[in-house]
Amino acid sequence: MTDRSEGPPPPLGKKILILVTSGPEELDKTYAPFFIAALMSSMEIETSLYFLMHAPELLVTGAAEKLPLKRGGTLERFVQMAIDSGVTMYACTESVHDLCGLETSALRAGVKVVGSTTLADLALEADSVLSF
Amino acid sequence: MGNLNGCEFPEELRYYVERAQWLWIRAEGMVVRVGVTDPAQTRAGRILVVRVKPAGTFRERGRPIASIESGKWAGPVMAPVSGELLEANPELEKDPSVINSDPYGKGWVARMRPSHAEQLNDLLSAATAQERFRGILEREGIHCHRLAPRNP
Repeated sequence: MTDRSEGPPPPLGKKILILVTSGPEELDKTYAPFFIAALMSSMEIETSLYFLMHAPELLVTGAAEKLPLKRGGTLERFVQMAIDSGVTMYACTESVHDLCGLETSALRAGVKVVGSTTLADLALEADSVLSF
Repeated sequence: MGNLNGCEFPEELRYYVERAQWLWIRAEGMVVRVGVTDPAQTRAGRILVVRVKPAGTFRERGRPIASIESGKWAGPVMAPVSGELLEANPELEKDPSVINSDPYGKGWVARMRPSHAEQLNDLLSAATAQERFRGILEREGIHCHRLAPRNP
């Protein structure tokens, strides 16, 4: 291990759930969950991102490419980073349809649109839950 | 030495270019040395943390042997071949950004002992890797640059 200051690697089989509650209306809060999810997944922690409230709007096909970040580039870089690292993405069906007014088909490939029952399952099965 | 968008691809190395994995491999007898390529270190920017799996860990090809974190990029370094992890680069403990200043030299990531030597035949030559990168660099807008060593 090269980074001794940050402790040993996590044991295999750990799971983490990251809730994303901010959408394009709070763009500054959106890239960190993708970044952290990518890092955790690359450490072989089974990582899930769950998008609710207006956050599913980040997952509309082509949307992240049009969301510029203050630090340069667009959100797409961070979304792709999480996908490349093997992060599983869930979107809340109530948020997608009722709050955001979206059809499931508007979301990028690979996003699973699920109900709150799945959120309960994911939270109970996770070793930790983070919220943004 | 191949050069594309300012990115170097040493002829003597082999390359593993699969999705976001842009790695180089140097055969050294029965073991291999693994590192990240010039485009990969440029994409990441100054690397802040590298965490390599413990020596003795066996990894199948395509499973993580390390994670890398910079201010704008985070992701795994996958095993380009199946095998046993022998050693992490001790230099990375002192300064992970040595990957940015010398990706093909002092900035190597790990040494492995391949379990399936035939997998080495699947790796790309410098010329083939360069062709593979041509579209990637254009799409991602990458022009390679090296950072100055922190402790020259």
